Amino acid sequence: MFLVNWFYDTLASLGLYHKNAKILFLGLDNAGKTTLLHMLKENRVQAHVPTLHPNTDELIVGQLKLKTFDLGGHETARRLWQDYFTTVDGVVYLVDAIDRGRFPEAKKELDALLTSDELQDVPFLVLGNKIDMPSAASEEELKYALGLMDTYGKDSKVDKNNLTVRPIEVYMCSVVRRMGYKDGFQWLSQFLS
Amino acid sequence: MQGEHWDVTTSEEQSGTRLSFHCWPSNRLEATRCVAPIGALYTPLKKLPAYCSPPSALQYDPVRCSTATCHAVLNPYCQVDYRTKLWTCPFCLNRNHFPPHYAENISEVNLPAELIPQFGTVEYELPSIPPAGPPAFVFCIDTCAHVEELAELADSIQQILNILPEDSLVGLITFGTNVQVHELGFEGMPKAYVIRGNKEYGPQKVGQLLGCSGGGAPGVGAGGGAGMPPPPPGQQPQMHQQQQQSPFESPSTQVLRRFLLPVSECALTLESVLDDLRKDPWPIPSDKRVARCTGCALSVATSLLDLALPRRGARIMMFVGGPCTSGPGAIVSRLKTEDMRSHADLGRNAEPLHQPACEFYAGLSKRHHIKEGGKSAGGKGSTTQAVAANADATSCHVVDIFACSLDQVGILEMGELVEATGGYMVLGDSFGQSVFKESLRRVFRTYDEDAMGADGDPNAAAAAAGGDAGLMQMAFGATLEVLTSREFKVSGAIGPVTSLGKKSPNVSDLEVGKGGTNAWSLGGIDPGTTIAVYFDITNPGTSPLPEGKRRYIQFLTKYQHSNGRTRLRVTTLCGPWYNPPPESDKSNAPPPSGGGYMSNGMEQPSPVKMSFDQEAAAVLLARVAVERTEKEDVADVLRWIDRSLIRLCAKFADYTPDDPNSFRLSPEFGLFPQFLFHLRRSQFLQLFNSSPDEAAYYRYILNKENTTNSLVMIQPTLLSYSFNGPPQPALLDSQSVQPDTILLLDTFFHVVVFHGETCAAWREQRYHEQEEHVAFRNLLEAPQADAQMIMDNRFPVPRYIVCDQHKSEARFLMAKLNPSVTHNSEGMGGAQVFTDDVSLRVFMEHLMKLAVQS
Repeated sequence: MFLVNWFYDTLASLGLYHKNAKILFLGLDNAGKTTLLHMLKENRVQAHVPTLHPNTDELIVGQLKLKTFDLGGHETARRLWQDYFTTVDGVVYLVDAIDRGRFPEAKKELDALLTSDELQDVPFLVLGNKIDMPSAASEEELKYALGLMDTYGKDSKVDKNNLTVRPIEVYMCSVVRRMGYKDGFQWLSQFLS
Repeated sequence: MQGEHWDVTTSEEQSGTRLSFHCWPSNRLEATRCVAPIGALYTPLKKLPAYCSPPSALQYDPVRCSTATCHAVLNPYCQVDYRTKLWTCPFCLNRNHFPPHYAENISEVNLPAELIPQFGTVEYELPSIPPAGPPAFVFCIDTCAHVEELAELADSIQQILNILPEDSLVGLITFGTNVQVHELGFEGMPKAYVIRGNKEYGPQKVGQLLGCSGGGAPGVGAGGGAGMPPPPPGQQPQMHQQQQQSPFESPSTQVLRRFLLPVSECALTLESVLDDLRKDPWPIPSDKRVARCTGCALSVATSLLDLALPRRGARIMMFVGGPCTSGPGAIVSRLKTEDMRSHADLGRNAEPLHQPACEFYAGLSKRHHIKEGGKSAGGKGSTTQAVAANADATSCHVVDIFACSLDQVGILEMGELVEATGGYMVLGDSFGQSVFKESLRRVFRTYDEDAMGADGDPNAAAAAAGGDAGLMQMAFGATLEVLTSREFKVSGAIGPVTSLGKKSPNVSDLEVGKGGTNAWSLGGIDPGTTIAVYFDITNPGTSPLPEGKRRYIQFLTKYQHSNGRTRLRVTTLCGPWYNPPPESDKSNAPPPSGGGYMSNGMEQPSPVKMSFDQEAAAVLLARVAVERTEKEDVADVLRWIDRSLIRLCAKFADYTPDDPNSFRLSPEFGLFPQFLFHLRRSQFLQLFNSSPDEAAYYRYILNKENTTNSLVMIQPTLLSYSFNGPPQPALLDSQSVQPDTILLLDTFFHVVVFHGETCAAWREQRYHEQEEHVAFRNLLEAPQADAQMIMDNRFPVPRYIVCDQHKSEARFLMAKLNPSVTHNSEGMGGAQVFTDDVSLRVFMEHLMKLAVQS
């Protein structure tokens, strides 16, 4: 399976064996959180109804065991997010790149997460989803809309024990076309331990 | 008998029954080959029209067959000899004398109601059993919920107090860290007994803690008794004054005087307690979950009812806003570092709290069933008495769960308790939603508002309600017993039932669902509760049945009506047998064109095939599938469904072997593959994006509803509204999504109005507000009005969603459609579904290929 391979290779090269990591999938409703989780788990696209209860799943990739929590994104469900902040190792924040009207809302929720005390040292992977659509925003546009003009850097050296800059990075992707998120996860995996 | 057409709608309307096959093959081998389960979906309390059931309950005891092992009730299918005043039981063929008062008057023209030919269903109000009194309701309120949520909940319950019959008893329990039992009979100021929330309490202990132990002085005082917790910080210790009581008062009378009172007497006290409802005062450290002792509260409520009203109908209505985290029945630790159980945890038994919690809640339900055990043990002698004793052991106490939370609350664990007591489950995300508020109101529906008068004839409605008009539809302590004629046996039942372990001679060795018995306890029941009963045709293939031989089924449902009287409803069904032709050289004969199965030169299709009710069969099969998921891997269940469907098609379709193009299904079977296609995709069998609680909830409702509703859950209905005429039923297919139409989707749990993109754009531009576009306004309004009609008659009230194409909530529709157009397909027409799932067309192609394989 492609996922196992790339994850395994990456992680093996980094020596991240026997690691457990707890990852939250957050973002507004219809950003593609559940579709991404299903893709990572089954390598298949599937249409889902909006998530009600949090979806807990386990992805075993190489020697890394990811426990993922896919939380509902509609407004009331966001109240629940903070209940899951304890002992989180990483946040994947999805944004629907074609729904420009909701960028401000997406920014507001992201800002709230970034300023949360409990998530202070947690790496954030921001995924701009749905770039298969011609109308999708570019990476530049999305970064600007989310106020993330200055990010960690996709190729910056990672020294986990000596982080001077908050690990946050934006990747553009299309879950249904299996594009882009792989690079994002590779970037994120550097911080998981 | 040949070619007998079977009108399924009439059967359901007249007897509350749907059968997968109306005409049954007369031997076991042939029945096995029919693949689809042979069974019945029976709705015991369905209101029947006046022409097929007496308008009101008969006020006398039924006449029963005198054979010890039979005891069938006299019915229109009994042969009556008016000259000798004898009747023949169609089940055991025994000849019975009529009782003297029948014998005196009976003649061909003077029949008792239960012998009138069209009265296949008769209800008796048993005069020998004393009335139990008005029902009781114990409200259990979770005070850990958000403040706004608590206010919404209190408001809803206050409204309920206004619609309850005045003589109903009510009690109030609130819980958080501890359990508070409110003494509603204490006038002047609110008073509650606080019980520590860390353990289970039996009836005696609860009686003792509440000072209702029957004369003995209860050891109470601030922080004194064993169950009495220290007072929460910042609160004055509550003084539990010794109640002045007569030493002769029984615990039951004391509880009824102090804690469970008629609503007319305690409404004011109760309302003021609800007005002052406070959030649980105990502090919550940031790394911990709130302490919520749902399990303990349930045990206290159960004990309170056991103590006061052991035999009377009562509901424990649990309103819960989060998971149980302390005391018995906890499903997750208070430490936030521990996660709530997931499907993966459950799959490998890695969840330490799950199993004990399940056992605890199941134990509460068993406590009900066993508590009368001492008395029923004396019921020796004939089987009849034993059954009567068994029936008495059925609980009249129902546990309902109203879970309103964004996360799981433990429906999975509490499910067995709700199922065993026949309670309701409602799952919403807020107590402010109509899903909760309106559903709660509908629990108390009365026979007046029954939908029977839907044709607009008030007389019809009144007649349908019979003597029950104005009484609540809920009933208690129901049991169902199934009698069969001798050629077949009972395999089991699936639905909200618990086996009563009655091993009658008509119990089959082949178990389906809850088997090994022909009688079950249902607990709470309403006119919609539907039980699936599965049969096993045991007649060996060697003996064809004589021509004209009929099969008989009798359903005996005993229950406590909301008027406190015990009733027995008797439905007797009769149907034909079919002797399959001997299959001497079937395999050698070359199949004639257009006949895979019917290859013996027979022109006429078999009456078994003609009598197939594909809707009932799909629901019967769905219930088996869902039941199997409890013990088997979902993937295995899906494979079993596929195999069954292939075998069924191989048996009943017309085709030339090895030629998929020749495959044809007759109209009786035409929709069946599609039902199963959608069942495979449904939330009942797909666990992704569905928490363990959600899965348990959806499955519970599927197992409780009637055929039509269950079918809507399996394959949602879709209506299309456009300018080109009246609304049309549309295929549940992505091609039905058109820019200039509005769709109305009903999945039972959700009702969705979906605007195509053009319609949505017009609405955004407010065309509907302009006079010249009145047609568009009508188009916008029509589906909303129809949606309202769907929601008016449903329990639980569905979630209502109005959405636009391409928007977030459009996924409620898109996820349900057959993905005939996806992001991978080139073709146009309809909307793309983002999925790699196979479409119905591909599914059918595979089915045809596999079914015709020789």
